[in-house]
Amino acid sequence: MPSLHLNNLTKRFSQHTALHELSLTVQEGEIFTLLGPSGCGKSTTLWSIAGLHHPDSGSIAFGDHVVFDHGRVDIEPEHRNCGVVFQSYAIWPHMSVAANVGYPLKLRKTARAQREQRVREVLDLVELGDHATAYPHQLSGGQQQRVALARALAHPPDMLLLDEPFSNLDAKLRDRSRQWLKNLQSQVGVTTVFVTHDQDEALSVSDRVAVMNQGRVHQVGTPDEIYEHPADLFVADFVGTANILSATVTQADGTHALLRVDGLDQPLRVPHTDRRLGRVRVCIRPESIDIHRRTSTGAAPPDTLTVNVENRAYLGDHYRYTVRIGATPVTVTTTRPVSDGELTISLPPGDIRVFPEETPSAVLGETPSNEENPHASVR
Amino acid sequence: MSTNAGHYLLWALALLVIVGPIVPVVAASLWSTPLYDSGGHLTWDNFHALLTDGSWWSAVGNSVLFAALNTAGSIVVGVACAVLLTRTDVPGRRVLTTLLLIPLALPGLVLIIGWAAMWTPAGFATSWLETHTFLSMPVNLYSVPGMALVGMTVASPTVFLLCRGTLLSIDPALEDAARTLGAGPLRSLLSVSLPLLRPAVTNAALLVFALSMEVLGLPLILGYSSDIGLISTYLYDHWTNDAQQGLVSAGAVFLLVAVSGLLVLRNRLVGDTARFTTTTGKPTGVRVLRMGRVRWLLASVLALFLALFVLVPLAGVVLAAFTSILSPFISPWSVLTLDNFSAVFDNPLYTNSIVNSLLIAGVGGALTTLVIAVLSVIAHRSRFRFRGSLQQGMLWPRMMPALVTGMAFFWSFALLDRSGAIRASLWGIGIAFAVRSLALGYSAFYPALAGIGADLDHAARTSGASWWTAMRTVVFRLVAPAAGASFVLLFVAMLNDAEPAVFLVTDRTPVLGLTMLQLAATSIGGSVAALGVIQMVITLVVLGAGRALLGVRPRA
Repeated sequence: MPSLHLNNLTKRFSQHTALHELSLTVQEGEIFTLLGPSGCGKSTTLWSIAGLHHPDSGSIAFGDHVVFDHGRVDIEPEHRNCGVVFQSYAIWPHMSVAANVGYPLKLRKTARAQREQRVREVLDLVELGDHATAYPHQLSGGQQQRVALARALAHPPDMLLLDEPFSNLDAKLRDRSRQWLKNLQSQVGVTTVFVTHDQDEALSVSDRVAVMNQGRVHQVGTPDEIYEHPADLFVADFVGTANILSATVTQADGTHALLRVDGLDQPLRVPHTDRRLGRVRVCIRPESIDIHRRTSTGAAPPDTLTVNVENRAYLGDHYRYTVRIGATPVTVTTTRPVSDGELTISLPPGDIRVFPEETPSAVLGETPSNEENPHASVR
Repeated sequence: MSTNAGHYLLWALALLVIVGPIVPVVAASLWSTPLYDSGGHLTWDNFHALLTDGSWWSAVGNSVLFAALNTAGSIVVGVACAVLLTRTDVPGRRVLTTLLLIPLALPGLVLIIGWAAMWTPAGFATSWLETHTFLSMPVNLYSVPGMALVGMTVASPTVFLLCRGTLLSIDPALEDAARTLGAGPLRSLLSVSLPLLRPAVTNAALLVFALSMEVLGLPLILGYSSDIGLISTYLYDHWTNDAQQGLVSAGAVFLLVAVSGLLVLRNRLVGDTARFTTTTGKPTGVRVLRMGRVRWLLASVLALFLALFVLVPLAGVVLAAFTSILSPFISPWSVLTLDNFSAVFDNPLYTNSIVNSLLIAGVGGALTTLVIAVLSVIAHRSRFRFRGSLQQGMLWPRMMPALVTGMAFFWSFALLDRSGAIRASLWGIGIAFAVRSLALGYSAFYPALAGIGADLDHAARTSGASWWTAMRTVVFRLVAPAAGASFVLLFVAMLNDAEPAVFLVTDRTPVLGLTMLQLAATSIGGSVAALGVIQMVITLVVLGAGRALLGVRPRA
């Protein structure tokens, strides 16, 4: 299985630029996810890899094999040996399941017996062995999706490309399918590029994730790197929920900084690698904020802040409260309810991430988080 | 690379055959001698002769009057029928709709022959009314208003279809909103939905006007004998009788400019999209307006008019075909005969015409369907650089008056095929008919093609199929039913087409439509009626099969 190298891909449409000099490397055998809001260029990237879109500049290589180099090489999609699962599945309605899956093998002039053998093998792999003679309209959405996957794996491909394959499934099935895909991929070991706008999906399925916005890659990393150490405000805000507050760095030594968060009396000493002083934006996850429950003495512990609860919501497995720190709305989540109208909270310094005030490329990330749904502005 | 080369080759061929032939018509109109003769020079003489000919100007006047009357009448009838038959509870709507649409499905000539047999001053129905009742036929068919009346039987259903599509697609919530604000059902229909019909009515009016400018059969049968010339009969007459080919070419250029100008205007105003949407809409959302007792009156009036103007003429064709003489003074039952049919089958001209037309319709229709399918996938499913011009190219023949198409191919064959081999075979007329029907077939084929998601052929490409293989194994399989429907429409159109053949026919290549037209221009005898019945039966059988198997519907 080859690795995949995208080098300085640019694609302009008449109105906007879909890809800005995009460069990425996907290691062999890994599941690599392109995550971002709609219109961020993730699908354009995928179609460029498949050969269905043609970037205006840059190059694409599968291992050492250059499949696209603007103006010099443009291998037709049929010669790139990719397996693609489309969002719509794109299963041919006039062919049976076996014929759909056998199609790539037929084009490769695989001998009949061998072809049938391989179709059986792949259908068994996706647990559809009993449905070989069925036609697509006789299958459920989840089954159709697996036919699409079986077809994409049949030849077998050098590269598996998945375009939001689970977006048409219901929540439960989607969750099961992710697990199943991850297991299947580790069995097959094919280099996989997965496109999604769903952060849960990206975090649960991927070996590594590239977070994209407006045609640029903001961060590449493992799911926990992306979630725990977002590279900028956009990533922080797009992946998971982030409370974004304004603050001032008053001291910085390259490992830690002394931070005055607007609305908090006490300065906080947080891990920080930059030495510059001045205004910054900080981010903290709702579940990271500590809630201090009333003790019998009634006195609030030091370094805490008591705030009014402005909004509360019960979400089944957790509770969500909206409070304000200074003027900024902040979301706090916990698994144990708080009965009072007030909440005593503190911000654990280790969970605070500091970003420079201006992040020009993270235009969307600068919008203060919205009370009800901090993602509303980017979704 | 080979895919691309194939695209270029097909594109060049298509534009050469579809658009190219117009060049020699213009050239012929500006050249002093026929193009197949040597010598000659550039000249305005043909246009000068045309513009100083008094009969040309009276023909233009008659054509405009005919087109205006036909358009006005069919808009009134078509819109009224569209509202009554889709939005009210008038009884028998299905039957009435079918009756109204019959003239669109039938060959145009059959209906005209029927009208001529029944409603002309000496016709069977007119005389019968005069002898048996105090009523009479108020309109003389041998006049421009008379011709417009006949034209309305074909033009009204066209208007009806265009308006019905719009009426059915109007969101019923728009009228519901008016209802909640206090408007009654009739008022909300009149103040909300009717104004929304305006683009459809404009579209239909310009289309009907443009088509009226170029009809040949109607004025040839009803106007020619009474010396009422229209543009089309003027061109026909001067081509067949005086052989003034330069003059006729100049007239054709004039007609082309007028008709295509109108159709370009129409596209500007309403876009061409309406032609490509199916006329069925979403019937579940339609609100029915209750008409109370008036509905019975309305239904009776509609039924009466449709019976008089559709059923009576059709009965006329059948009666004329099966009797030795059709006269109100002799009971048709006493003169029943099959002689007209045996006369048809004994005459080699007629049998050759039938066989030739069936060959052109069958073989030509199939080949044209194939061409449409291939050009459509290049135009809509490839990355071919000039695909846009192919889409326009397939619609272009719609802009061309039928007579101009015929003349275009006449001059093209005269220039490019000096041996005359193409014209001597059926290919000459076949190609002209095919080009003329291209837009019709494409408009039946395109919606199905557009309905197939691009992912389906992308999936084939990424599975390892070349572009042609993806088209062959996926797209063509999925559009096969639409290709079948397209074939049925092309078969019927090519079986009945006549006008382009005026310029291309030879003694050895008679075709059904033109043979009937030439015969009907001189007399409405039993043989032409018998030919009409044969033509009608073939058409109805093919359309019926098409409808049963493929859901083919009449098109505007």
